[in-house]
Amino acid sequence: MSNKKYWSSLDEMNETPTYLEQASKEFNVDTTAIEENNEVEPSRRDFLKAMGFSVSVAALASACKIPVKNAIPYTFDLRKAVPEIVPGVAEYFATTYCDGSDFANLLVKTREGRPIKIEGNDESPLTLGGTNARMQASVLSLYDVTRLHKPRKNNKDADWKTIDAEISQKLDSISKSGGKIALVTGSISSVITKKAIEKFSAKYPTTTVVSYDAISQYAVRKANQISLGSPIIPSINFDKADVIVGFNTDFLGTGISNIENAKKYIANRIPTKENPKMSRHHQFQSTMTITGATADYRYPIKPSEEKQALINLLAAVGGSISGSKNLSGKDANEGIAKVAKELLSAKGKSVVISSTNDLQIQLLVNAINGTLGNYGTVIDTANTYNLKTGNDESLATLANDLKAGSYKAIILIGTNPVYNTAYSEIFKNAIKSAELSVSTADRPDESAQYCQYIAPNSHYLESWDVISPKTGFCGFVQPTISPLFDTRQTAESLASWLGDNTPIATVVQNEITSMTGANYQTAVQQGFFGNVTAGSGASANVSASIAGVSADANPAKGMEVLFYEKVAIGDGSLANNPFLQEMPDPVAKVTWDNYVCIPYAFAKEKGIDSMPSDKNVAVAKVTINGKSLELPVVVQFGQAAGTLAIALGYGREKAGKAGDLVGKNVYPFLKSSNGITSYNIDGATIEFIGKTYELGLNQTYHTLMEDNNLPGRSMKYRGEIVKETTLADYKKDEHAGNLDRKEIKEKFSHSLYDGYKPNDYKQGHHWGMVVDLNACIGCGSCVVSCSIENNVPVVGRRQVYRSQEMQWMRIDRYYNGNPDNPDVSFQPMMCQHCNNAPCENVCPVNATNHSSEGLNQMAYNRCIGTRYCANNCPYKVRRFNWLDYQGADSFGKFNDGKRSFTDTESQSYMFEDLTRMVLNPDVVTRSRGVIEKCSFCVQRIQEGKLVAKKENRTLKDGDVKTACQTACPTNAITFGDQNNKESVVAKTFENSGRNYYVLEEQHFLSAVGYQVKVRNKDEEPAEFFINKPNA
Amino acid sequence: MFNNIVNVIEFQQNRNYLDLFQIVLFSTFHKIKTTEYYICTEKIRRIMYNCKSLKILCQLIVVILFLSFTNNASAAVAVPDVVATDAAGVAKAKEGMALFKANCTACHAIDKKVVGPALTGVWDRWESEDKLVAWVQNSGKLIASGDPYANKIFNEYNKSVMQSFPTLNKEQIQNILLYIKNPGVAAPVAATPAPTAGTEANTADSSNWLLWALFGFLAVLAILLWNITSKLDKVVREKAGEVVEDKTIVEKVFSKKTYKTLLFIGSILLVFNVFNGAIDLGRSQGYAPEQPIKFSHALHVGQNQIECQYCHTSVEKSKHASIPGLQICMNCHKYVKQGPKYGTEEIAKIYASQGWDPDQSKFVKAPKNFEWIKIHNLPDHVYFNHSQHVKVGGIKCQTCHGKVEEYEVMKQFAPLSMGWCINCHRQTEVKFADNKYYSVFQKYQDELKKGTKAKVTVADIGGTECQKCHY
Repeated sequence: MSNKKYWSSLDEMNETPTYLEQASKEFNVDTTAIEENNEVEPSRRDFLKAMGFSVSVAALASACKIPVKNAIPYTFDLRKAVPEIVPGVAEYFATTYCDGSDFANLLVKTREGRPIKIEGNDESPLTLGGTNARMQASVLSLYDVTRLHKPRKNNKDADWKTIDAEISQKLDSISKSGGKIALVTGSISSVITKKAIEKFSAKYPTTTVVSYDAISQYAVRKANQISLGSPIIPSINFDKADVIVGFNTDFLGTGISNIENAKKYIANRIPTKENPKMSRHHQFQSTMTITGATADYRYPIKPSEEKQALINLLAAVGGSISGSKNLSGKDANEGIAKVAKELLSAKGKSVVISSTNDLQIQLLVNAINGTLGNYGTVIDTANTYNLKTGNDESLATLANDLKAGSYKAIILIGTNPVYNTAYSEIFKNAIKSAELSVSTADRPDESAQYCQYIAPNSHYLESWDVISPKTGFCGFVQPTISPLFDTRQTAESLASWLGDNTPIATVVQNEITSMTGANYQTAVQQGFFGNVTAGSGASANVSASIAGVSADANPAKGMEVLFYEKVAIGDGSLANNPFLQEMPDPVAKVTWDNYVCIPYAFAKEKGIDSMPSDKNVAVAKVTINGKSLELPVVVQFGQAAGTLAIALGYGREKAGKAGDLVGKNVYPFLKSSNGITSYNIDGATIEFIGKTYELGLNQTYHTLMEDNNLPGRSMKYRGEIVKETTLADYKKDEHAGNLDRKEIKEKFSHSLYDGYKPNDYKQGHHWGMVVDLNACIGCGSCVVSCSIENNVPVVGRRQVYRSQEMQWMRIDRYYNGNPDNPDVSFQPMMCQHCNNAPCENVCPVNATNHSSEGLNQMAYNRCIGTRYCANNCPYKVRRFNWLDYQGADSFGKFNDGKRSFTDTESQSYMFEDLTRMVLNPDVVTRSRGVIEKCSFCVQRIQEGKLVAKKENRTLKDGDVKTACQTACPTNAITFGDQNNKESVVAKTFENSGRNYYVLEEQHFLSAVGYQVKVRNKDEEPAEFFINKPNA
Repeated sequence: MFNNIVNVIEFQQNRNYLDLFQIVLFSTFHKIKTTEYYICTEKIRRIMYNCKSLKILCQLIVVILFLSFTNNASAAVAVPDVVATDAAGVAKAKEGMALFKANCTACHAIDKKVVGPALTGVWDRWESEDKLVAWVQNSGKLIASGDPYANKIFNEYNKSVMQSFPTLNKEQIQNILLYIKNPGVAAPVAATPAPTAGTEANTADSSNWLLWALFGFLAVLAILLWNITSKLDKVVREKAGEVVEDKTIVEKVFSKKTYKTLLFIGSILLVFNVFNGAIDLGRSQGYAPEQPIKFSHALHVGQNQIECQYCHTSVEKSKHASIPGLQICMNCHKYVKQGPKYGTEEIAKIYASQGWDPDQSKFVKAPKNFEWIKIHNLPDHVYFNHSQHVKVGGIKCQTCHGKVEEYEVMKQFAPLSMGWCINCHRQTEVKFADNKYYSVFQKYQDELKKGTKAKVTVADIGGTECQKCHY
């Protein structure tokens, strides 16, 4: 049993009156949504009116004829090949997601020809079936109503023939007159697009191709040009590393190919009784990310000190470098010494990694890895990435040239430089004044709106493509649906402007055939080709690397600001996806906003550490280089002193209904040093202007509590909720951190009633779930996956602020330890399907009850909305439909032509016919006034059983996987039948010493077993315990 | 006539029921003066008893008569129903089917008028079997003999003579009739025979007027007897010292009490109807809309014996049985260009939708979507899977959809209410032995083996739990 103090938010830490009141209420009732929606408070007269209405409607409805509904059978053309589609049965297509940084092989579930869900492709040797939140949500982007329906000319609909002819003609004339053409692209990992661009440049030799990333890793490539002789980004085999040292890197959440990283990382992070081993992960960083939260040791450092820290470390591991200096933080200095010691004892089996876009930092990292001999084992320079191929220097050059007006044509290939670069004004003016300006954006975004022509690109689920994320490995993109609109893939557009009208399908199929030969069919079916066997590759030239490091001219001064990338929103290109906007940030738990993170100590100093509530936060005016902006303030535990952090990717103006004007855009604050874009800046000032802001923060009110009246407990006691131990203790006893379970089991082995036998669920199935707290990195992939699978509505910032978000599962984030540098635990929390469920007893209409398979069932159409169950749920996992979010009401506004509720700030995202295509047809949409919650994906259970019955066999372990399980990039969630002795769940429940149930002492008999989190720590400082352990 | 009832009773104390009739007539139209009763109660009681028995008897006869009107179907030619277990009958019906197909199908169908009339019910239309046999063997001869029904038919069908079948003997014709009445027994597909239920209501004869008259008479008698018993009851009660007001039958019928009773019954009926109506809200049992193509299941399934799965292809694979696209129609209708009832009219709609040119015999246009009218509208909050029921459960299509092979127009047979679903789940036995999946229910398997459990129903394995259908 963990004896530590845990807290989930600032208010809880301070135990503010608001918080205590809220916690004691158990269920946050805020009916303002309803009142605002109805505009006036309902009175007795309204009640009578409603009564009269319903009676007359019932009478009318019974007298009227049934509305005639039509059934349109699946029709196909017999002159063509007959597709084998069975209506009602899902088809899966292998495809590939790649946005220039994230990559994964996927399976796309389609129903009646509509893609409705993304699953990982388990056969992929690279991503092993993992997905992240962005991929999960990408299926909704397909049905985005903001997407252009037709090509555009001067912001008016046009047709392809016209714009192709005009663009070709203009290109020809510009080229003939020697005018320069700028082709601005993002990272190009598509083999097809790359070839199309090459052909374009060949025909129009005055073309300059400039590729840039909004969030760049160019320094890595440039450093490797010096250290290794070629501008590569190597693979890092985290599974082979015993010691991992990260410097301001988020390789698990937002880094290059983060799913691959997570899969490899976690392979060496789960200790078992037989093999109690795990890698040790140190993280030096300025703000808190999920990678830092997952690390065993974490040291806050300022961005400006990262270089000094690396110099110190290089010197400590024996590199020939001078200039070691003490860092400002005591922890960090001790950390460098400790890390150096461990690195030296793990030579060749360790890695130092940084994502800071700074040449000197990357050179130092290379020098350290070279000194330690990590190349060839952990760092694989033979298998290199084709992701993040942007070049900051050429972007800077282009900006200069554009300013000088030396380009006559600008073609934007999937980029939005007016929004996501610091050269916004330059691009805007250049596009406006160019002789020819074209964008392939799928919507009239910030840049495309000024272009003469928009040649909208198709969504990846409508496309053919070959993606090469790594040398020797390709993922195939095949369409899962015909293009919904009159759109065209970029490569096809480029080819058409050259006069080549070969359909893209033919081009791609020929490319795949040339790669795979006779295996074409198999290759497309499995969705990838090639292998990823570990190569070795050259080692970094240490002395050359060190030679590149120079002393800093200007030491940093004032507040330092770190511009970081969020797990969900990324660089902002996906901003119009409401699922991503509403996915809580894994660390801050804030939705629908960016904000300025300030350190706890600083907040205390400024006296803003206790606001009226966590959700009514202060607003700060941040001034950087004379420009300022106002942002809500979030107190971030673990943030380095003297730093601020603001997320990129917000403040879109032309993204669409969901993404517009959410948060503030901070790209304009980026500056480049020596041609390389820098994501941190010094000399900032922050001023609290006395305003407050309503933040869509979502953990604090669904917070789990224990019985705090027991002796020795306080609000922060969570020993029965999160349990953790250290690897040292785990090696001694596999029950470490979990010793109280024996006592609990003993306590409940007796019954008050002689002869009372509760249902033991021994016959048939008894579903259960294992959640490994060691594996969970908090990335939120499961949350989005669950929402899409179960038609969980998006409610908008205002509703989240009112504690009325609908997500069926959440990832609780708890801090413990030193508020300036706490340990973090992530805990996925969903309905625990208790066999002694407190919610079931209090339902007056038996709408929630228990099934013979151990499922806590929720019958929506039986629910009358008393919310007693939600009030009585100790895990706070029940959600109430305060509004008709999805147009499911029989007599709702959806049916009277208005199609949306009148709430001032919440948007009704699921009211467009097109968007509703993403709904899972096997799961009903819930109407206003009913409770809903996790069903253990009962539709998948039923389907799995049916398949087994039809195949006349027993149900095997793994036949039924929940949506959260399949989405997880670290296999933290496993679902199965407790009665099947061969199942992972049964074995874990039976044998694992780490297994425990949340609030087990209350005897709810939950069906979700959590695995104690094991941190690879040596010892723990006693000061953070509630009851200090006996010395 | 008599002055008062007391006299009557005293006068007729030894008389029989004929006198009783006089009392009835009297008491109906006259008030009884209560002061003049001098008769022993015992006798009144006896008469009352007699009256009451007679009244009940009359009422019974009325009910029986009424029921017999609605169900009356007297066959002029006796053709028995055959059940599948009756081997001899089945053999006969099979022989009949062979004969029917060899000789009759050129002009006749069972359920519909083709060249000649539909043959179902033919046994009711002929007054005797001999005449029917004579007609089949040589219809011209029978017409010439002046038989009225034969001439009626002859004239009705534009004086076209039915081909004579002198080779068919009486027994063979009986077998054909047997088959026509029981097509399901001879043919292996259709589940149940006896296609006669719907058609006979119209055959009720006008010669039943006598029965109607009897019905009316007895009904009146019952009312009168009720009147007399109540009067006599009054006498008894007055004898006992009560003061009872006397009324004629007309006054009684229009009394306050009657209004009150009617109001009471009316409001109960109203509540009952509203309640039932509310339960049935959104249900549409019997819904049989006219479809854009007049597709006949009776023709395709009943007569042509096409399997359900031939068109509803995914019924064993998917939650949907699937309404077939018109491309499936084209499998046959590339060749079958004319239907028995609507000729080319309806089939032309298939061609138009599918882009088929019957003259060139090829597809000339891309197919268009076709909109049928949806009949079975299960609410969104119910999950139903056809493959679970048909493939795994082995449920016949007819169990839920009725005798589709007889439907000229498709209709919703079952109420599709939750009670209806649940009821079936409670009664239906799970085929435990046939499917390895069910080995997961170890306890039930053991109990079945030991014999302590007779059968496992769907409800036993959780078939009535909410989340089996609602999620």
